[in-house]
Amino acid sequence: MTAASRPGALPAFQDVRRRLANLRPGAATASTGILEHATAAPDAPRIVAAQPIEHSSVGARRVTGAPAVGFDAFLDGTQTSRILDFVNGVAVVHGTVAAVIRVRRNRRMATWMQAVEQRLYAPRRALPEAYWDSLESLGLEVVDTSDDPPAGGGSPAHPFTLRDGAVNRVGRDRERLEVRLAERWCGVEKGMLFIDGGISGSERVSSAGCTVGVVKSHRTLYVEGDALTRVLALEAGERSTVLRIAPPKRHAVASWYLRLRDPAGHDPMWGLVRVETADLPVADRAAITERADLLSRWILAEAAPLALPDGRWDKMVYGIRDCEEFLRAVAG
Amino acid sequence: MIQEPTAATPLADRRPPTEAPDAPLGRIVATERRPNTPHEFHFWTALDAAVGIGTIVRVDGDAPVNGIVPRVYGIIVEGFSYTDLQSPLHDVLGFDGSPANAGLAATQRTEIRLYTAHVLRHVPEEPLQPVPMGRVYLAHDEDVNVALRMDGYLAPDRRTAIPVGVYRAGGTESPVYLDADFLLGPEAAHLNVTGVSGLATKTSAVEWLLQSIFAHFPASKGSVAAVLFNVKGPDLCFLDLPGEIGPEDEALYARCEVPATPFDRVEYYAPYKSDNVTLNTLRSNEALLDNVTPLTWGLREVLQYAEVLLNKDDVDAKADALIDFIRERIVDREFHDPALNGGRRYLVRSFADLDAWFRDVIQHLEQKGGESWKTHHVATIRKVRNRLSNISTRCAGLVTDEGTVSDLPFGSFEDRSVYVIDVAALEEDAQDLIFARVVSKLREHLERRDLGVKHVVVFVDELNKYAPGDAPDTYVRKMLLDIAERGRYLGLVLFSAQQFRSQVHRRVVGNSGTSLYGRMDADELATPGYAVLSPATKTKLATLDKGQIMVRHPHFTQPIFVRFPRPAVMRGRDGAERYPQAEALPFEESLLRSLRQLDASLTLQWVQQAVALHDEADILRARNATLRERPADVKAYFRSQLRPVVAPRSVAAPAGARPAPLRPIGDDDPYGF
Repeated sequence: MTAASRPGALPAFQDVRRRLANLRPGAATASTGILEHATAAPDAPRIVAAQPIEHSSVGARRVTGAPAVGFDAFLDGTQTSRILDFVNGVAVVHGTVAAVIRVRRNRRMATWMQAVEQRLYAPRRALPEAYWDSLESLGLEVVDTSDDPPAGGGSPAHPFTLRDGAVNRVGRDRERLEVRLAERWCGVEKGMLFIDGGISGSERVSSAGCTVGVVKSHRTLYVEGDALTRVLALEAGERSTVLRIAPPKRHAVASWYLRLRDPAGHDPMWGLVRVETADLPVADRAAITERADLLSRWILAEAAPLALPDGRWDKMVYGIRDCEEFLRAVAG
Repeated sequence: MIQEPTAATPLADRRPPTEAPDAPLGRIVATERRPNTPHEFHFWTALDAAVGIGTIVRVDGDAPVNGIVPRVYGIIVEGFSYTDLQSPLHDVLGFDGSPANAGLAATQRTEIRLYTAHVLRHVPEEPLQPVPMGRVYLAHDEDVNVALRMDGYLAPDRRTAIPVGVYRAGGTESPVYLDADFLLGPEAAHLNVTGVSGLATKTSAVEWLLQSIFAHFPASKGSVAAVLFNVKGPDLCFLDLPGEIGPEDEALYARCEVPATPFDRVEYYAPYKSDNVTLNTLRSNEALLDNVTPLTWGLREVLQYAEVLLNKDDVDAKADALIDFIRERIVDREFHDPALNGGRRYLVRSFADLDAWFRDVIQHLEQKGGESWKTHHVATIRKVRNRLSNISTRCAGLVTDEGTVSDLPFGSFEDRSVYVIDVAALEEDAQDLIFARVVSKLREHLERRDLGVKHVVVFVDELNKYAPGDAPDTYVRKMLLDIAERGRYLGLVLFSAQQFRSQVHRRVVGNSGTSLYGRMDADELATPGYAVLSPATKTKLATLDKGQIMVRHPHFTQPIFVRFPRPAVMRGRDGAERYPQAEALPFEESLLRSLRQLDASLTLQWVQQAVALHDEADILRARNATLRERPADVKAYFRSQLRPVVAPRSVAAPAGARPAPLRPIGDDDPYGF
């Protein structure tokens, strides 16, 4: 069962620990921090070439027109994983995922929809049956991670592998929650939704005209060779040629790189984001250009106010920072 | 669980929700760094919430204590606003150093309005705990009554409420009441008003409050009158004339249930100028003289308060002994000393009589060559004669040589009446003398319960001058201290005002149960006496509008801001323009103007004929007597008061008494020998 309710009524992590300790004296005594801060060996950097659909090759293009306000709302999600207990050296992970859509009214942000969920994650096969029963009696959904593929290709029985696998599951639950909110938006609203991250995970969202995903991390690059060089050399206010990205097990989207800020004195990725929007028909290249420029102008308009003091402020827009602050307040 | 969108309609069709009347205004917040205490709490509100410094709020706790949901009332004393911006530099960077670019930003930063409130009251009062988490509401009428503990004296069966103004916040208007038992005694008493000059706060507030007292002072508490000392300009000279008030003021009068009319019964008192003919007041226009009475005193009235006019250098122990002797043995008593002027019998009733007595005493000592008379050294006698004789000069117009007395109606004061004594144009000595004597007489009569009313409000402006905190002790200051400390037991209530409260004697302002503050000077607010006020409250005090005051009262645990209406009386400036001061006239014309108050048929010709053969002192004495007696037949009475004049007659030389003719002078004798 998923424990989710109004944010104020969610049991605090310490409450869950206390209840488990009541059920199993001696349990839940481990003290660890937030796993996302300490673990998560990042995915290995990858380059996956994508097909340009705006032009025959990838090049740099100045976004035409002045930045303009176009987004009506912003969506972001957060996750927090903590060790609830160790059983025979295996971590039982408590995960909280949350997502919110914040709409902009009269230049002020307000909540349109929010969701918070808590679950417990553990490999059932590695736990005594009685302990598993105790976890289930805590009132939270307990997710069995026994069959998850080993995280990062590590040894399946390694406690770290198990722990990281649980954290990955928490991450997937967060993505699912974000998708649910985005789909809800697409079903109700007509305004444009700015989503922190990619949109290819959901067919409905990736094909909707009212969503734009903005990806800040570049562990996977969709250009290579000269194209990569040209992308990394983008100047502030320039974008790349539009590409079609079709990752395996995901849905195809149109995508391009956009430089939000002048990278002089910084690393080549500084101020660089990748935009994802619904796939566009290759036949109408003018429409592709027009669409990419329009959305780029909207994104550039979000460059102020700054998202400082967040360390990712060069790529993060203020609306997303507002979502994160909101989720920090309601979900911890 | 997913929380549903705030409304089912699409965003584009959505309008901001209309707040329900009973919707919470804010929520209590407390952190370890900024916790709530039993006397202070913090809450946040929406950005557009109609609250500000001085707003009264109600907190409904989330959880019951001992089965009762705690309710706390507070008043906002501080406000904070900030965004999630960590450094101003971030804002500069965000807009490329150009403030103009900020207007183009798509989103405004998250912003908070955080308020700090001081607790007015806990319900229930026990156990006294820190303010609980809960919702915050704007206080309405009933809340204001409870928050300020006014419910105790607003109850119909024991109502002693005197409206002091209207508290306004967020569209609510609630009258704020003072407790008569704590304003006019006996529980506490006295009122002090402070504020910068020129904003019509101090005098207006007192005038308004007197109107309110006269309208609401419960009959069961007895009668009340007011004695006002007009110490500057025409401020209090037109209290019986209607003034201009606007619709907003009328609404305030209606809300406080005070009639928007001038005072019904006002009597004015003013001494003459040094010419003893023209009244020394700005209310000397002939059209307004019907309720203006001259204020004149004689020797007996003044001698009792001689020490007011004589400083310590003048009155040493020896002089004091002689003055006591004169007071006890000479004045108003038949005095006889065989050594003086051939055993003349003295009846000293005026300064002129006293001077004659002094002259004989000194002449006796000079003739005898002695140095003392009845143990009083001649130097002391000369000194006291000099100082006392000088009083009638220093207080000319008030003190008369011939002893004529025209005074306040001690013993027949009327309920809800105002007695204004205009001392604005007098010398400081005369002002002090008037104040000392009037207040002393009020106290005497109140002690004997024969003043005519049970309570008297005495209003003194410019308390900086009369009761300074750091000046040598004076008789007037001692009297003010005495009223402040003991007056409430007698029903003698001091309403005082000044620009700088910090410069007034601490015991005077400290004994004022109720204090009103108008707009304050920043320097004054920086003095230690205002340390208890929050910076925001000080800022509000420094920017108060006309008609706004901050009230401190024993029932209010925190200062409250209220608005009061403009007094429904003619402003001094307007009155002075509409009723200009009478011009100085020739003697007979001035006399006519005085007597015409009693008989409008008098003519200048009649006056000239009546006084033609009389000296000025005689005429003034007759005029004073006539004004005092107010006879039915003014002409006859006035004539009867003039001393009879013996008609001139020629004197025939006695027969046979012709002087011898001078001896003729010889031509050769130039020296006449």
